[in-house]
Amino acid sequence: MKKIFVIAQKEFSSCFHSWLGVLVGTLFFILTGVFFMILVLSYAKISMNPQQFGLSSLAGVNQTQFVFGSFFTNCSLLVLFFVPLLTMRSFAEEQRQETLELLFTYPLSDFEIVAGKHLGLVWFFELLLLPLLGYLAVFHWLGGEFDWGPVLSGFLGFWLLGLAYLAVGVFISSLTRSPVVSALGTLSVLLIFWIFDWVETISDGPWARVFAALSPLKHFRDFTMGILDVQNVVYFAFFFLYFLFLALASIETRNWKH
Amino acid sequence: MKKKTVSSSVVRFEHVSKKYGSVRALDDVSFEINAGEIVGFLGPNGAGKTTTMRILAGFFAPSRGKVWIRGIDLFRHPQKAKRSLGYLPEAVRLYPDMRVAEFLRYVARLKDVPRKSRNIHVQGKMALCGLTDVGHRLIGRLSKGYRQRVGIAQALLGDPDVLILDEPTSGLDPKQIAEIRALIRTLGKERAVILSTHILPEVSMVCSRVVMINQGKIFASGTVKELESCLKDRQEISVRVKGRVYRQGAIDLLKGLPGIEALRMREEPGEELWFIFEIAREEDPRAQITQLFVQQNIPLVEIQRVKLTLEDIFLHLLQEGRFARRPS
Ligand SMILES: Nc1ncnc2c1ncn2[C@@H]1O[C@H](COP(=O)(O)OP(=O)(O)O)[C@@H](O)[C@H]1O
Ligand SMILES: [Mg+2]
Repeated sequence: MKKIFVIAQKEFSSCFHSWLGVLVGTLFFILTGVFFMILVLSYAKISMNPQQFGLSSLAGVNQTQFVFGSFFTNCSLLVLFFVPLLTMRSFAEEQRQETLELLFTYPLSDFEIVAGKHLGLVWFFELLLLPLLGYLAVFHWLGGEFDWGPVLSGFLGFWLLGLAYLAVGVFISSLTRSPVVSALGTLSVLLIFWIFDWVETISDGPWARVFAALSPLKHFRDFTMGILDVQNVVYFAFFFLYFLFLALASIETRNWKH
Repeated sequence: MKKKTVSSSVVRFEHVSKKYGSVRALDDVSFEINAGEIVGFLGPNGAGKTTTMRILAGFFAPSRGKVWIRGIDLFRHPQKAKRSLGYLPEAVRLYPDMRVAEFLRYVARLKDVPRKSRNIHVQGKMALCGLTDVGHRLIGRLSKGYRQRVGIAQALLGDPDVLILDEPTSGLDPKQIAEIRALIRTLGKERAVILSTHILPEVSMVCSRVVMINQGKIFASGTVKELESCLKDRQEISVRVKGRVYRQGAIDLLKGLPGIEALRMREEPGEELWFIFEIAREEDPRAQITQLFVQQNIPLVEIQRVKLTLEDIFLHLLQEGRFARRPS
């Protein structure tokens, strides 16, 4: 089991070997920073002059909700496009370079390989989250006030959403030997999941409920509103494990087809 | 499960078959390898050598049959069995963005080399393979010969009892080939080495035993000496006939002779046909053939008689894609 960490360390450090990892990290840092600033500034504008915005007073507007709720919603859109770039190399690149052959002959299980690949990317994703804590500090320093509850649950939700998307990406990556196909495939699948979230707004039949229940965004939204529901955590755990095992099955097919 | 024989063999293939879809790459292959042996798998391209090496290295499972590594079933307890294996794939591919020493340390961790001795262990293998000076270089920037050495070094990490080398010298220049062969001979002193090759001289230079494989089947195996001695009592006779019209007549006549094997025909320009077959050493059917052909009015131009060598078998194999006899 400790070999999961060996693989994860290699995956994590290879994120820095390519321009892509550094670029994705930098862009994510800049874009989230811009989102955050815009939200803080527009909140400041409203709070200075609530009447102008049709609000009799500020009492009705929850500062935490206004800034952090929208912030995490925007971030969820950002990871939709960034995760495919992070996961596209995971298995596809190794299949293209044929470096997996050796890995499969070392004394470790397929599960350790797949789990290690996931974990390495999860670490990198968590590294991307670190600056967000910085924004929190800046906000606090500027005199902004917030409830810890919704902020922390928003973070938790965003982390779970990222993990779920990474698992989709790693699975798609294991299906192909082309990183580009992997990235486009992952993006398509994530977009389809994104559309699941809309179905409920156009119809309310039993099918709409099924789609809504399967939609990652719907489960994620509860977190951004500060609602901590065990069901949502369980949903993301299943989502993650489901795609992890699909990836495992996908690399095990070498035993019967090649 | 009944306990499998207490044989001394380090590697044991039992009735192994492998299919890729409908392509049968290995067909009921069985063999054993003992410690201290360097065994050469010899066969033309597409014979099934790489497939054998991959199964032996635990890369994928066979469609049928069992593989035992030091008495452990490779596909029931893969992690345990793989500790005894070191594998160099054909045209080995390594992470181009890693540095040599960094890569070898990574592999050493995956192969359970204890932390305390890891650095010394890795340095030892680097020295053995002549990599000490390139430890800090990116693998992607190394020459092919050096990459091959990195490939051998990673196979040696963890001091496995069995080394599997798939075409270890292919694509290298003559100097590199000589160096790698010398290295393999050194390595073979303490462990079992299995290498595949399509170059016959390599087998007699490096290996103590040879297994010949073609179209997924083992058709001969033994020490180089044994194979040669079992060929000593064979000879090859070639008969040249002028005129294609006599083709069937000649075939019928030759088939009628007692003790001939592996009869084949080759067309030459100028209406000439060569008939080639093998026959036991003591026999000399030349006089009889001349007589028979003259009786039937078939224009016989030439008869040759050649002793068969290991090289000959192998060449036939390459040309014909088959070989009729099975030395035991
Ligand atoms: N991945 C594969 N998919 C389908 N057929 C394969 C594959 N690999 C090898 N084969 C076929 O299996 C046979 C044996 O191949 P291989 O073991 O690579 O031979 P060798 O290494 O002796 O050249 C060949 O006919 C080859 O075409
Ligand atoms: Mg081969």
